[in-house]
Amino acid sequence: MPPIIELKAIYKIYPNGVMANKGVNFSVEPGEIHALVGENGAGKSTLMKIIYGMEQPTQGQVVVEGLERHFHSSRDAIDAGIGMVHQNFMLVPSFTVAENIVLGQEPTQRGLLNKQKAIDETIQISEQYGLRVEPKAIVDSINVGMRQRVEILKALYRGANILILDEPTAVLTPQETQELFLAIRKLVEQGKTVIFITHKLREVMEVSDRVTVLRQGEVVGTLPTSEATRESLARMMVGRDVLLRVEKPPAQRGRKVMEVQRLTYINDTGRSVLNDVSFNIYAGEILGIAGVEGNGQTELVEIMTGLRPSTSGNALVNGKAVLNKTPREVRMAGVSHIPEDRLTNGLALEASINENLIVDRYFRPPYKKGASIDYKQVAELGAKSIEKYGILTPDGELPVASLSGGNMQKVIVAREFTSDPELLIAAQPTRGIDVGATEFVREQLVKQRTDGTAVLLVSADLGEVMSLSDRIITMFEGEITGVFPDAASVTEEELGLYMLGIKHQSKEEMEELL
Amino acid sequence: MIRKLYMKPAVREFLRILLAITISLTLGFIITLLVSEDPVGAYKAFLTGPVSRINRTGEWIKEAITLTLLGLSVALVFKAELFSMGAEGQMLLGALVSGTISLFVPLPAILRIPLALFAAMLVGFLFGALPGYLKAHLNANEIVSTLMLNAIALRVYDYFLIFHIKPEGAGYNASDFFPKEGVLPTFIPNVPFLAEAYELFSRRANITIMLYIAIAVVVLVWYLMYRTPFGYELRMLGANMKFARYGGINTKKTVILTFAISGAVAGLAGAHLGMGIHEKLIANITIGIAFEGIVVALLARNNPVAVPFAALAYGYLRAGADIMERSSDVSREMVLVIQAIIILLVTAERVLPIVQQRVNNMRENTKAEAIEEGGQNVI
Repeated sequence: MPPIIELKAIYKIYPNGVMANKGVNFSVEPGEIHALVGENGAGKSTLMKIIYGMEQPTQGQVVVEGLERHFHSSRDAIDAGIGMVHQNFMLVPSFTVAENIVLGQEPTQRGLLNKQKAIDETIQISEQYGLRVEPKAIVDSINVGMRQRVEILKALYRGANILILDEPTAVLTPQETQELFLAIRKLVEQGKTVIFITHKLREVMEVSDRVTVLRQGEVVGTLPTSEATRESLARMMVGRDVLLRVEKPPAQRGRKVMEVQRLTYINDTGRSVLNDVSFNIYAGEILGIAGVEGNGQTELVEIMTGLRPSTSGNALVNGKAVLNKTPREVRMAGVSHIPEDRLTNGLALEASINENLIVDRYFRPPYKKGASIDYKQVAELGAKSIEKYGILTPDGELPVASLSGGNMQKVIVAREFTSDPELLIAAQPTRGIDVGATEFVREQLVKQRTDGTAVLLVSADLGEVMSLSDRIITMFEGEITGVFPDAASVTEEELGLYMLGIKHQSKEEMEELL
Repeated sequence: MIRKLYMKPAVREFLRILLAITISLTLGFIITLLVSEDPVGAYKAFLTGPVSRINRTGEWIKEAITLTLLGLSVALVFKAELFSMGAEGQMLLGALVSGTISLFVPLPAILRIPLALFAAMLVGFLFGALPGYLKAHLNANEIVSTLMLNAIALRVYDYFLIFHIKPEGAGYNASDFFPKEGVLPTFIPNVPFLAEAYELFSRRANITIMLYIAIAVVVLVWYLMYRTPFGYELRMLGANMKFARYGGINTKKTVILTFAISGAVAGLAGAHLGMGIHEKLIANITIGIAFEGIVVALLARNNPVAVPFAALAYGYLRAGADIMERSSDVSREMVLVIQAIIILLVTAERVLPIVQQRVNNMRENTKAEAIEEGGQNVI
């Protein structure tokens, strides 16, 4: 069968001189799930934007179903049967699900929107493809997984035969990811073709038929997934061997750095989010918190770092109370924090890299001299951090927004590690960043711990928690359900039972292990 | 070489504004053609009016000084991604307090003037801190609160002016002229070798030492914004409030201080109205200018160093429009339309980028050819 999409010798040069694609040849067979992998900045998104008509290639051919095409806008691509689901959803939050799906091609009745027909059509298309949505719900009120299904349905409603999914799992929980994969398989059964962009190799192995690897704008290779392994793909992506397992020397547990005692948090709506949570963290260990997202981890971290007040309880860092203090007071007590959402909390995107590096120290020497900030010192810190943490940028004066996701995370890591913390709280430290940067961040976390810092690791990636932690606690519905003093000796299945609240250790059992 | 120069942001910005002004002046002329019997004469009055006579130039510069201070006041708040309409109230109180001191405090000029200016800034600072406090602690919308506070300040100003300051039995709502000790001196010192210039300016175009003070405030605001820890806090607050909080910045304090400092600068602008321009307190002293700081800050993209230039340019427009209205058959309404078109085009961010896009497309094609020839290093 001829390929349904074929790109021939695609070059793309942006006006600022960046060459995003260098002679890419890429073809997709009808009815397959084709994974496109590569590190951040490898040119995946540019390539997909070219297929979807959002960018025009500087040179090269786009052939869809045997015809050469010149898409001038995504409207042209949609007409050719191509649909795209973006990483950041493009829905109208105040509209209902059905209204969003029919937007632009609304069924009308005497010139007005026929709401009932929109709902009926939504139900029909939703059942046809097994993508469950609530047609009458306002988009603002539905969860991320359903929003994504709405996006997919939107594309299908416009007659898409070829679906491009741009990092669809970056925002999903493991359960939602599984649901998405089921839906993708069902789509393919019904004759659709799916291009799946990701940098999570586990997902490539799980869902795709074939995989194409991009590196620095060029295709490294295309191969059937059955002939690939995670290691081989990682090597192709990065261009060298990558350690997917973290090497770490045995833990040297030191003194107690943080004590959390009977922490309880009831949110504005009266729901108990954290219930009587107690644990300790010691110098020189990584304590991992395993749990399905939304079981209180986010709030726990925010309370521990001064970003959210607690309802009751106590928390001490080196004997000093830090609960319900300001973020600055908590930081001054020696706590540093890699936030789970780097774009909203961790960085000021328009501000320069250097300025992002000093938010926790601009007010004290050597960065403050007299009444002003010593920008020479700041530039020096910037240059040092860029070098030491391998931040890919020509200049620390550039805005953080000019960096790729992995490099943005390195800016945060550089700031939080160089403040010489007693306790490092890392929330989802490798979420959404590429293999190379992930490896780097993990190595650095282990290094901090080996140098005697106490580390609290919160991650939705169970593999990450298990491979990095020395000790693991599991959380379910705001409570600690189990403590595992030797992370190496516990299995994924065992943890899963505690994470889902099926098994529960007794208070007495946990007492001495916490 | 030319391309290299073109890539510099400052050069590009300058070209952008130049292009916008050219387009808008052309549009303005077309409108004038439609409404005037003598379009060339009318438009000439508009374009060259402010520099045609020394007293007109003086009016222009004095207005630009007020606009500079107002623009700085607004730029501070905008830079923190906040909004303020409070300049009117802060100016009124600044004018009231400094005017009262100028009129009634029996001190020599050397003490009375600094005291009056300082008091104007202080009252602006305190009155400015109010909406900041309401915003930070009660989450009150700053647009609403600053507008409401303006209404309060206006009544307070009128009350004191009418019942306490205006001379008894006077048939108008204004104070006496300030005594000499309470009026800002001419910007040229009265020394023998400058006697001629002093004479000329003090009689025909009374630009005061506020010129120097305004320049100093520009430098101070720039320094505050870009060199001090407070300026860092303010800018980070503007760039991402959640990041500022996460990083340990006391965001509430920063909000209050930003509004307060902005108020102090507006208070100084108020003092300039009384002590530098009218030389007395009058009713509605801020009318027509209170909200113009917003335009100036927009034109200057909140960059304090660009504010005086934006103020000069905008002040020129205002002065030219006034003169056109007075000396031709073009009505005030039409003059305002032309003025608005110019501002609209200059503040529109997309004017030059559209042209730029065309140029880039052309250049991209040349690059594609370069690849064809086997050249890899097009970057």
